[in-house]
This record gives sequence, C-alpha cells and structure tokens, in this order.
Amino acid sequence: MIIAERKPFAEIKAMVAPYKKILIVGCGTCVAVCLAGGEKEVGLLASQLKLALGLEDKRLEIGEITVERQCDLEFLRPLCDFTADYEAIISMACGAGVQFLKQLCSLQPIFPGVNTTFIGVNNEVGYYTERCRACHNCYLGITGGVCPVTMCPKGLLNGPCGGTIDGHCEVDPERECAWSKIYHRLELEGRLDNIREILPMHPHDRCTSPGTVIHPAYKRRYGINE
Amino acid sequence: MSKFRETLDAGAFAVVAELKPPKGIGVDDMLAPVKALSGRVTAFGVPDNEHARMRLAAVAASRLVKDAGAEVILHLTCRDRNRLALESDLLGAASLGLENLLLISGDYVTLGDHPQAKPVYDADSVQLLQIAQGLMDGHDSVGLPLQGNPAFFLGAAVIPEAEPLAPQLLKFEKKLVAGAQFFVTPPVFDLEKLSRFREKIAAHSVKLLVSVKVLGAEEMALAAAGTWRKVYSVPPELVSDLAGKDPEDILIKGAAAAGRLVKQLKQEKLADGVYLKAKGRTDLLTKILEIAEL
Repeated sequence: MIIAERKPFAEIKAMVAPYKKILIVGCGTCVAVCLAGGEKEVGLLASQLKLALGLEDKRLEIGEITVERQCDLEFLRPLCDFTADYEAIISMACGAGVQFLKQLCSLQPIFPGVNTTFIGVNNEVGYYTERCRACHNCYLGITGGVCPVTMCPKGLLNGPCGGTIDGHCEVDPERECAWSKIYHRLELEGRLDNIREILPMHPHDRCTSPGTVIHPAYKRRYGINE
Repeated sequence: MSKFRETLDAGAFAVVAELKPPKGIGVDDMLAPVKALSGRVTAFGVPDNEHARMRLAAVAASRLVKDAGAEVILHLTCRDRNRLALESDLLGAASLGLENLLLISGDYVTLGDHPQAKPVYDADSVQLLQIAQGLMDGHDSVGLPLQGNPAFFLGAAVIPEAEPLAPQLLKFEKKLVAGAQFFVTPPVFDLEKLSRFREKIAAHSVKLLVSVKVLGAEEMALAAAGTWRKVYSVPPELVSDLAGKDPEDILIKGAAAAGRLVKQLKQEKLADGVYLKAKGRTDLLTKILEIAEL
C-alpha cells in the first residue's frame, strides 16, 4: 500500500490561513491504514485547527468527509457537489488522490494534508517500511524475493557495493544489506546461478513519468492499437 | 601504453600515491606530492568526490597532474552521473590522455557533505566497466559507433575483509568478466586476512593493489572508542599505541607503520603494488617510501 505521513501542523495551518471555510477530505484506504489521512485523522486535524485558531480569536468553519478512495472516480464523483460550498480543501489522500480530487471536483485551492512517502508494508501498528519503487521492471523473480532497486539504497543490480559491514548497509547500519540477503536466499534455494550473469542497466525509458497503463482487454475501448 | 600498466605487466611492484583534489581551485597543495615524488611513484590516484564530499572535478585534477609530469589513475563513480554523463566523461578523460581508470559505485550521498543531493547510480560498477569496455571496442552503451576509440586500463574495487565475503566474490567475478584488469582494495592492516583472501582468488590471474592508509586522530579516536565502522579492521595494538596522542604524532607514527606494512606486502608478495592513502601529504608519503625502501 501507499504510505504517507501527516504534514506538520504548522505547515497545514499556514496553508489555510487565508480562508474562513474549509473542507478536510479523508481517504479510507492506504492512508487510513497507516494512520495518516483516514476518518480519525480528519477529525483530529479539524479539532487541532479549531483549537489553535480559537486561541487566536479567529473563526474557521471546517467540514469533514472521508471517501473510500480519492484515487477512484467512482468514489469521488458524489463528492463534487459537496465541495462547492467551501473556500479551500485539504485532502488527506496520497499525492494521486489530491490531484484527482482537484481535477474532478474542485475549483477551489486544494492543499495536501500528508506527505506521500513510499509503497510499503504494514509490519505492525504504526510501523511501515518501504518495499517497492514501482520501477516498471520487476526483478524479484531472480533476486530471491528481495528487491535490489528498493532495498539497496544505491539500487545496484549486480551485487553489493564495497560498503557492506557485517552484512549490514553502509547507509543505515540497522538495515541488513539487500545483496547479502539476496545471496543468502538464493543460496538456500539453490538458485545462485540467477545472479551470476551480469544484469544490464535498468530500462529507465519505461519509467518516464507520468506513467499510463491500459489493461490489454480495454485497449480497443481507449482507442489503443493492439 | 601507460607506465602504470607496463609496471604491472612486467611484474614489478607498483606504487600509487593518492592525491586530494581541493574543495576550491587552489591546486598547489594537491600538486605538491607530484612535484616532489614523481620519480619514486608509478602513478597518482585522483579520487572523484571522495566520501561523497564535493571537490574539484577529478578529470580536471587528473589533467593538471598529468601536465605536472606524472601518470594518473582517475577514479570515476556511478553516484553522480547517469549513463550519458559517464560515457561522455570517459571519452573526455581519454581525450585528455587519461588512460588508467578506477571505476567504482561511490559512497552514498547521505554519508557526505551534500546529503540532500539526488543519488544517481544509473549504472553500477560492473555495468560501468562494461560501458568503458564497450567504448574501447568502438561503441557506446546503446551500440552506436564512435569516431575514434579510447584506450583504457580498467580498474575496480574489491573488498578482502567483506563480511559476508561470498557476495563480494560473486561481484568480483562479474567485474573480471566486464573487463577489470586490476583491482584496488580498501585499506588493509591485517595481512593474515589479506593472505586468506588472496588464496580465495588464486584461480584468477589479476593484478591487486593493496591500499595502505595513514589514519588520522579522528579515525584513531573512533577505533579506540569501539565505534569503528569501516570495511577494514584496525589492529588493536596500533590503536592502543596511537590513540589519544598528538594528532601530528599520530600521522607521523602512522606513516612509519604504513611504511613497514608496504615493505612486508612487497617482501611477502601479497600485492602487485600499493595504493598509498596519506592525506595527500608529501612528508607522510616520503616517510612511507623511505621506510618501505622504495
């Protein structure tokens, strides 16, 4: 899932300072799971803003709503009428959700309530770690289920750098070296031959942003030649 | 053919002294060892933003060293350049008469003085060796032909004390396949470990330059405090002998120890040459050479 962290309160407060009536829109999927932008966090931010501005004798009218996914047309469309009454919007979704909400619904200024950080996993409550950089060319089948692009800070494709110390990474001593792990797993699986050949440089042309994927079954619908 | 390559090919003991490109354009200190030691040193190593700390461009520094009359080993890292920049810098180096290359991944940016910089690593060190070999064969990394092929003597890094060693050996073998003709180690103090490593790579006919380093007071303090975190170990007796002493004393005694180590490496044929890291200082390099009888 996509992991995000809520922006510092002072930054959010400064962004919405010019407005008297704002809407905070939460997102009920990834950012809710990582406790950054779901319904509870929308309520918390609204309370924080009211309290802080109240102490300054300022009034701010705040609407709150959370949709299942801000990255999905189906959930955003019903929201469009609702947003019209507000001067500005804070979206608590990832960057994709913020942009889609603005594109579909909002003529008003929109502000992100979170910083989108990475694609990762939910290890335990409140503890998330990165696993995927969406590189368009998955190597996991040959690297024992450990991603060299993500788990090695340098994204090296042909083995460890010279900085491995006692099996740990030169960049973060707390983290196991991705290539030590890859080697160990493939050795256990009897598949070390997988990594004896030199892998070519990553095809970055596939990663040119913004990316588009059209499912093969829908190519005709979108006028794409087979 | 480069003098450095001729030395190694002839089976003679190569002596490479590392220089310190300045943070700025005042190059007198960097060039001082070149003027003083050219006759006693096979080549001078020129690091490329070493430890991810911004310095004078290694290609420019290398040309200045060459103009001062000495041979150079130019380092090139994958950290700061994508494949276009790597290839054009390699051609640029060749056009300036720089033939000896040490091609490395490069320390990560957050360990250096520009921690917010974007790390590149478009190629890794194995792929960079392939790129350089391809240029020598007359084509760039996408197969387009060159107008005039460069000639390089390709070097790479290998880590004798890597733990675990097996993934490092796998990469070492890939570097050989990719075109590495000589290898340089990180600093070595423990010759027993080096000897065991040499046995592991005995099947490969490669030229190995062993780095010998003069540690500074700061490094000695880290080792003494037990917070040493490097890919090489420092002998406890050296630490107890030097830690806490006057910083200049540490350097001078460290240079003497380095000289003894170089002598032993040569006598016991544990290396085809040495790569001396002595803060780029003429006096320390001179002391090492004197004690090593080079």
